[in-house]
Amino acid sequence: MRPGWPIGPPLGPWVPSLLRVSVRTLDFGAVGVLPVIRRTAVVSAVSASSDNGPGPVAEGPDPLGDPFLRTRFAVPSRPATFLRRRRLCEHLDHALDTPLTMVNGSAGAGKTLLVADWAAGLGRPVAWLTLDASDQSPGLFWAHVLQALRERGVREVRKAGCPADAGSVAHALLARLAAELSGRDRPAILVLDEFDRVTAPEIADQLAFVLHHAGRGLRTVLVTRTEPVLPLHRYRAEGTLTEVRGAELAFTPEEAATLLARHGLRLPGGAVAALVARTRGWAAGLRLSALAAQRSGDPETYLKEFEAGHSTIADFLLAEVLGRQPARTQDLLLRVSVLDRICPDLADALSGRRDAGAILAELHRANAFVEHLGHDWYGLHPLFAEILGAHLRARSPGLETELHRRAARWLRHSGHLLEALAHGAAAGDWEFTARALVDDLAIGQFFTGLRSDDLGELFSRMAPDVTGPEADLVRAARELAAGAPARAGPYLEHARRALEREGRGRAAARLSCALLDALSARLTGAPGRAEHAAARAGEIKQDIAPGLLDRHPEVTALLQTHLGSARLWAGRFDDSRSALCAAAAGSEGVRTALPRQECLSQLALIDYLNGWTGRAERGALAALAEAERFSLSESWGSGLGCLVLAAVAVDRDELDKAEALLERAGAEQPVPPDPVTAAGRAIVRARLQLARGRTRAALETAESIVPSAAASPWAQDHTALVVSAAHLAEGRPEPAVKAVQDPACHRTACAVAAARAHLAAGNPDAALDLLDGLPAEEGAGPAVTVRAMLVRAEAADRTGDHDTARRLVGRALLDAGHERLKRPFVESGPWIRRLLGTDPVHGPGRDRPAARCGGASGAEPCALPSPTLLVEELTARECDVLRRLAQLMSTEEIAADLFLSVNTVKTHLKNAYRKLGVNRRGEAVRRARERGLL
Amino acid sequence: MRYEIRVDGDMSETLAQAFPELEHVRMSGQTVLFGPVVDEAHLYGLLARCQSLGLRVLEMRRVPE
Repeated sequence: MRPGWPIGPPLGPWVPSLLRVSVRTLDFGAVGVLPVIRRTAVVSAVSASSDNGPGPVAEGPDPLGDPFLRTRFAVPSRPATFLRRRRLCEHLDHALDTPLTMVNGSAGAGKTLLVADWAAGLGRPVAWLTLDASDQSPGLFWAHVLQALRERGVREVRKAGCPADAGSVAHALLARLAAELSGRDRPAILVLDEFDRVTAPEIADQLAFVLHHAGRGLRTVLVTRTEPVLPLHRYRAEGTLTEVRGAELAFTPEEAATLLARHGLRLPGGAVAALVARTRGWAAGLRLSALAAQRSGDPETYLKEFEAGHSTIADFLLAEVLGRQPARTQDLLLRVSVLDRICPDLADALSGRRDAGAILAELHRANAFVEHLGHDWYGLHPLFAEILGAHLRARSPGLETELHRRAARWLRHSGHLLEALAHGAAAGDWEFTARALVDDLAIGQFFTGLRSDDLGELFSRMAPDVTGPEADLVRAARELAAGAPARAGPYLEHARRALEREGRGRAAARLSCALLDALSARLTGAPGRAEHAAARAGEIKQDIAPGLLDRHPEVTALLQTHLGSARLWAGRFDDSRSALCAAAAGSEGVRTALPRQECLSQLALIDYLNGWTGRAERGALAALAEAERFSLSESWGSGLGCLVLAAVAVDRDELDKAEALLERAGAEQPVPPDPVTAAGRAIVRARLQLARGRTRAALETAESIVPSAAASPWAQDHTALVVSAAHLAEGRPEPAVKAVQDPACHRTACAVAAARAHLAAGNPDAALDLLDGLPAEEGAGPAVTVRAMLVRAEAADRTGDHDTARRLVGRALLDAGHERLKRPFVESGPWIRRLLGTDPVHGPGRDRPAARCGGASGAEPCALPSPTLLVEELTARECDVLRRLAQLMSTEEIAADLFLSVNTVKTHLKNAYRKLGVNRRGEAVRRARERGLL
Repeated sequence: MRYEIRVDGDMSETLAQAFPELEHVRMSGQTVLFGPVVDEAHLYGLLARCQSLGLRVLEMRRVPE
C-alpha cells in the first residue's frame, strides 16, 4: 500500500478489492458525482505534477454536452484491500519509455486496478478514459480522448479542435493533435480503459497514426480484454511496446496468501497453492472464493471441497456467495443487474420496495458485489453483473423487460434522457422511448451533434407497428436524416394531423413537427412551406417549457438554417441572409457546429451569386475551416463550401483547381438532397465545361433538372446564362440572345449576357441600350460589373472609339485585379487581346499597374531593370508560345493554336520561364518584351 | 453452420441459460456448448459472451451438419 493511502478501518473479514467498478456506468447522476476518494487520487496526482499544473476542473461548457461524463475521466479508486504487486508496477514503469503499453487479461484479472494504482502513484497527471459501448463512432471516440487529455491539463489539445460529427474525425485534426503532442518535452500519459469495447477498425488505424506521429510526446496505455487491431508485431519488433499479459497478472501463491490474509483468511501454504492452481491465479476467482469461504462455517474445508470440484469458477462461487445473502438482498442484486449504475431510489423503483438504500450501503460496507461511485451511486463489477443477469433470467423469466421499462421511466423522470432511451429500447417500449425523445425536444440531435449515429441506430430497431405522433416524428426524422424527404412526408403528415387533434398540448412534439417540416420543405424546394413551418415554430415556442430551448440550441439553429436555405432557393437573398446570419452567429458549441457551417457556406453562395467573388471565397474558406475544426462530414449541404470555391476558381480561370474542388464537393454525395447545392453544382460544372470549351456537355449539365416544388429564379437565370454563353461560343448569337431574354430573367447578369449576345449579333446599339437600362445600383459585385464594362468596351471598340474602349478595359482590369477575375477577359474573345496587345499590359494579374492602361498613349516608359544577360536563347517554339501568352491566350488555346499537346506547351513554358528567370506568366511576358523578344 | 464450444468446468444450469440458443452437456469437468451458429457475428458474440461470464474456452470447432 502506498504511504499515505487511506487504508481506513478494517472493512470486514473479506474485501473483494477486485470489484472493479466500471466507471462507464457513471455517465449520468448528479453533477459532482465524483467520489471523494477518487478526487483525492486525482488531485494528488495532479498537484504533484511539475510541468502541467492542475488540470482544469471545469472550463466553460463541456464540448460533449454531457456534464456527467467527467466521471469517466477519473482514475478509478482502489479498495482498501488492494494488493500492490511490485513486479507488475515495475514492469508498468516501462510504459514511460514506450509509446504503447498494453495490459490485457480476462474479465476480473485485475487490469484496471493495476493501472489505476500505478497511475495514481506516478506523481504526474494521467489522462484516463473509460470507454463505453457507445463510443464506437470515431467522432465520439476522439472527442472523449481529447476531453480526457484536456481534463488533465494537456494544453496542446486545445489547438487540435474538436469533432462535432459522430461518424467522422478529420485527418487534419489527428495530424494536428499528433504534431502538437510531439512538441512536448514531457510526454502526456493517456490510459484507455476497456479498450475492447472499441471494435471499429478505423479507430485503431487512427490511434496507430497518432501514436506514430506524436512520437515522444505521448504514452498510451491500453487496458483491454482482447488484443486491439494495431500492428502489434511491428511494435514488438521495434521494441516500442510494453506488454502485461494475463499470465503475468495471475497471482503467485505468495501474493495470493497476502491477499487472502488481507481478507482475513489465513491458510496453510498447501491450501493456498491448491487454490491458486484451481483458480489459475485469477484475481476474481481468488476473491470470490475468499468471500464464499468466509461465509461458510469452516473456510478450510470449504475451500478443499471447492478445489476438488469441477464447477466453472466465477459462476459457482458467485452462486454460492449470492445464495448466502438474505432473500431481499438477493432479489435486489438480481434486479439491479440490468443497470449500469445504481442509486437507491432507482433500485427501489425496480424492486417496488423502499429498502435499497440500506441494502446497498450494507453490501458496500461488506465490500460485496457493489462499489460506491460517490454520493448515492453504486456500480456492479461487469463480470458479476453478467452472471447476476443470467441468474435473473433463470429465476424470473420475463422480468428483465419489466425492469428495463421501470428503469427507463425513472431515468426519464430524473432527466437522464440517453439512458432512459437505452432502457426504453431494451424494454421494446417504443411508444415511451419515442415520446421521451420528442418531449425532451431532442429530435434535432438526429441531424447534428455527436449522438446522431447513436440515435439513428437505436431507433432503427423500432417496430413498424408502433403508433403515435412521436413515433411518426422519429421515423420522419430518420428518413430526413437519410436525405429522403419523400419518404418522410407521409409520417410527417400523419403526425401533424394527430397533433392538431391534441390542441394546445404537446408543445415539444408540435415544435419538433414544425422543425422537421421546415427541413422537408427545404429539401423539396418549397419555400412557402418552410416559411409557414418557421412561423408556426415561432408561435409554438411560447408554449415550450422554460429552459428546454436553452438546453437545445440546435433546434433554433436548425430552424434558422432551413428557413435561410429555403429563402435562398426562392432567390430572396436579403431575407435569407438575415436568417442565416442569425444561425451563424448563434450559440457556439458542438451541437450547433453543423448548422453554423452550413449557414456560412450558404452565405458564401449568396455572395458568389451576387458577383462578389472575393467575399464568397473568404466565406467559403471560413465555412471549410469551421468544418475542419469540428471534423464535420458532409450532410445535406454537401460540399457547398467547396462548390463556391470551385465557382470562384472558374471565374479566375484556374480550371484545374476548379475541377479538383468540384470533385471534392461531389465525392461524398453524388446526388445532394438539397436543391440549393444540387443547382449550384450543376451551374459550376456547366461553367467549367464551358471554360474548357465543351459546350455541348455544358448545355446538358445546365439543363439537368433539379427536382423541386418551386422554381428558383437564380438557378433559372444561371442556367440561361450558361445556355446563352454556349450558343455564343458556337457562334450562334440569335439563340444566345433568346436564351437570356426570357421574362423570368431579370438579373443584371442576364442583361449583361443579352447585351453581349446582341453585340456578337452585330448590334452594339441594342447592347448599350440594354446596359443603360439597368438600374444603377443592385448590389452586383465585380464578377457582374466587370463583364458589363467589357461589353461596353467592346461596343466602343466596334464603333471605332478605341480610347473609350481602352479606358473601360482599364477600369475593368482594375476592378478585376482586386478579385483576381480572369474569366470575363478570356470570355470576351479576341478583340480584347488585340486591344491589349497594343499596350504593354500583362493580363489582369494582381501585380500589374492597371492605371497605365488608362493612359491613351500607352507609351509610358517604365524603369527597366538593368538587362541581365540571357544564359540561353529561347527556341523558336518557345517564342511562339510566349507570343501567344502575351495575347492572353490560355495554355489550352495555345496548344490548339500551335497544334501541340497541352503538356508540350507547359514544357515550353517551363523552359521559357527558366531561361527568363521568372516564374509567372505576367513576368515572363514583361521580361520578354523588355528584351525585345516579342 | 454448427459449432461446438468446450469450456473449462461444470457450468451450472443457470449459467447455461445465458446461452439459450445452444444445448450443453457436461463431461469430466468440462462443459460443451453446441448448436447452430448463424454467422461470424454470432460466433464472435458467443466468444465475447463466454469472456464476459468469466468462462475459460478450451476449444472451439465447427462440426459437420
